[in-house]
Amino acid sequence: MKKITFIGILFFTFSSFSLSAMNHSGMIMDAKGMVMNSNPDKLPKDCKKISEDVHFTVHAGHKYAKKFNGKMYAFDQQQWDVKPCSRIKITFINDDNIRHQFMIHGLPGYLYPKGMFHIELYGKGKKEGFFIVPSQPKTYLVHCEVPQHMEKGMKAQLKVAGGDQDLPSIPGVTEPVTPDSYEVSWNQASWAIAILSVLVGFAVPFFLMVKYKKSK
Amino acid sequence: MLKTALVFLLLILSALAYWLFPSLAEKSSLNIPATLSDSSRQSSGYVNPCQNDFADWRKAYKIDGVEIISSPFCQPDNPYDVATFVKGVNNVSMQTLMQTRLAEDFLTKTDDLDGDGDPDIIRIKMEVIELNGFSPDGDFFFPTYDIAPGIQPGLWVFAPKTRGMAEKHYRSKIAHALLRAPSPVIRVEQGDKVFITLENTHYFPHTIHFHGVDHPWRLKNGNHNDGVPMTGEGVVFPGEAHTYEMQPRQAGTMFYHCHVQTDKHLMMGLNGMFVVEENRPNNWLQTFNVGAGQVRHPSVAVKEVYDQEYDLHYQAIDKKLAEIIQQANDPRIIAKKMNRQYNTTESSENYFLLNGHSFPYTLRDAMVVVKPNQKIKLRIANAQRSAMAIHFHGHKAKVTHLDGVLLSPAAQITRDVFDIAPAQRIDLSLQTENDGLHSFGPGIWLFHDHVETGITTDGMSPGGNISILVYQDLLDDMGMPKIREAPVNRYFNKNFYAKKNPVWNMKAFKPFFGDAGMMEVNYFRLISFGLVLGVIFAILFFLIRQPAGIEEE
Repeated sequence: MKKITFIGILFFTFSSFSLSAMNHSGMIMDAKGMVMNSNPDKLPKDCKKISEDVHFTVHAGHKYAKKFNGKMYAFDQQQWDVKPCSRIKITFINDDNIRHQFMIHGLPGYLYPKGMFHIELYGKGKKEGFFIVPSQPKTYLVHCEVPQHMEKGMKAQLKVAGGDQDLPSIPGVTEPVTPDSYEVSWNQASWAIAILSVLVGFAVPFFLMVKYKKSK
Repeated sequence: MLKTALVFLLLILSALAYWLFPSLAEKSSLNIPATLSDSSRQSSGYVNPCQNDFADWRKAYKIDGVEIISSPFCQPDNPYDVATFVKGVNNVSMQTLMQTRLAEDFLTKTDDLDGDGDPDIIRIKMEVIELNGFSPDGDFFFPTYDIAPGIQPGLWVFAPKTRGMAEKHYRSKIAHALLRAPSPVIRVEQGDKVFITLENTHYFPHTIHFHGVDHPWRLKNGNHNDGVPMTGEGVVFPGEAHTYEMQPRQAGTMFYHCHVQTDKHLMMGLNGMFVVEENRPNNWLQTFNVGAGQVRHPSVAVKEVYDQEYDLHYQAIDKKLAEIIQQANDPRIIAKKMNRQYNTTESSENYFLLNGHSFPYTLRDAMVVVKPNQKIKLRIANAQRSAMAIHFHGHKAKVTHLDGVLLSPAAQITRDVFDIAPAQRIDLSLQTENDGLHSFGPGIWLFHDHVETGITTDGMSPGGNISILVYQDLLDDMGMPKIREAPVNRYFNKNFYAKKNPVWNMKAFKPFFGDAGMMEVNYFRLISFGLVLGVIFAILFFLIRQPAGIEEE
């Protein structure tokens, strides 16, 4: 498998391709997938040194959605917590025969063009990459951006120093902003309880009033 | 006595109240309301007719040895995509591939089996992409694809396997150029060994059925190969992949579509054109024509006879079907609504697309651009649910093939309306010789379905699959037709297709065809009615509350 490294090719710029524009961007790409903006050594401005090395193995696939009702794709974990200035090694494993991504947003643009660190696998397989997080408490979005993969469950969050928020619609972790509606399981017992409640609601003040009138 | 009087009074007052009742619309008096001004609506809904993002892409290119003809359109195809479609990712330079968003395993071309200078083993990977789909994260769709100004129906398409972000730009929600309707035109050469892998990236099961393309029903390894779940092979479930194989012996314009719940999945957009080109030496084909339209690298056989080639893919959308995927996120809910609650036999067609766009967006990339005395090959597919009657203004074309089969010379008739059954393909030879028959001369000539529903966007006209056959001199440098005083700009407006703007809202006639203003509220009448109603309530209350007392007095 030939592996070609392109340092500095502006990945998402079509119109103004030029060698002079090739700053900062790093990409390793082959027929199995790609790793974009892997950074094992450059420190964010606010970090004096790497606080700790952590290694996460992240699986992606349809089978990880089985534990969540109404989802189709998921990562095997939905949240990771790290210290400020951690160096994170991601081993990304795709268990499906289709494309999946480990895409993280919101990293500092001077180290990670477009604020992204990204591993993509075109099918079953494994790839690795590094990124170093800044020191501020922040929650980073991790997702697969193949249309409807995040929506159908492939969404997670990385919290640095406890994070600054919870992102919505992470399976099993946070509620969606626009939840689905489901039918309520009305049965004979619930109908009976509803009718009984009305009767009780009527009867109690009624008898109290009768009693009050008699006492006058 | 009093009671009788009150009841009588009540009757009179009721009649009075009825007479005074203030209605929401009133007959006018001498003072007829003035025309409403709608200048704010006109400007707020305006969209730029041509964003001119990639002007460079219009010129002719030679990339990695691939000749790519110029493309005069506002939205030309990315020439680097075209070069990759011609060479395959295994033969194209990495610099070229980096100018595309195609995955590095998406298309490989190897093995010149017949020794005629072009590769004959073609391996293609396709995905299923949802456009304008639901998001649980807020009141928006992702990724968006506008078929017309402000119109974003839920769509499914087969797409070439891509990589990276789904959006056009960072922090945008707009799908990038490879993720669009219609499903792309696939081109292979007669005799090629073709392996097409469907990688089901969607949340529903799908298949591909190669309609009209020579393929074995079953492969030697026992795998089913017709894409039809009912005849044995089942479906390709989410996260799974399946490879179809074929070695087409006959050339022609064919079709492909998903055969799972076909009535729904085909109408959702899972259908495309499949062209088998005649075998020729050194015939490197543009395996994909994303968005259909102009072929920027035509085959050797087409170039022998024609000056230009266009793929015209017509599809229609039922808005009630399309919105099912925009109203829920849970696949179980969507499946129930689509498969059991939605009823195709009670459906309609609301949006009509040519090459993925409705007018006026057809002007961006779905025109046919010609020069005088040219011969142009048009391959047309009807992927609608209903039959079509395609009509060209100013031209009479000749039908050469039906469903990919060459017609005998006597059957190759010349006419200006072509009926096309659903799923049917016709090949036309359009000549621009100004002889009063084939062409009436240069112009900006419409072509459209003459089944009149087809020229509307959810009933709003002009819209639908209207496009333009235009002589190149009549295009401006952004590829838009030079139309006098740009009346067409009126349609590049979201409020027009939201049915908020009057249709004939132009120039001196604005006051005559704008929306009529409203009548002023008649306060004398309103107050009189209120007072009478009050008195009626008072009498009623009095009668109900004190019946016995009145009788006693």
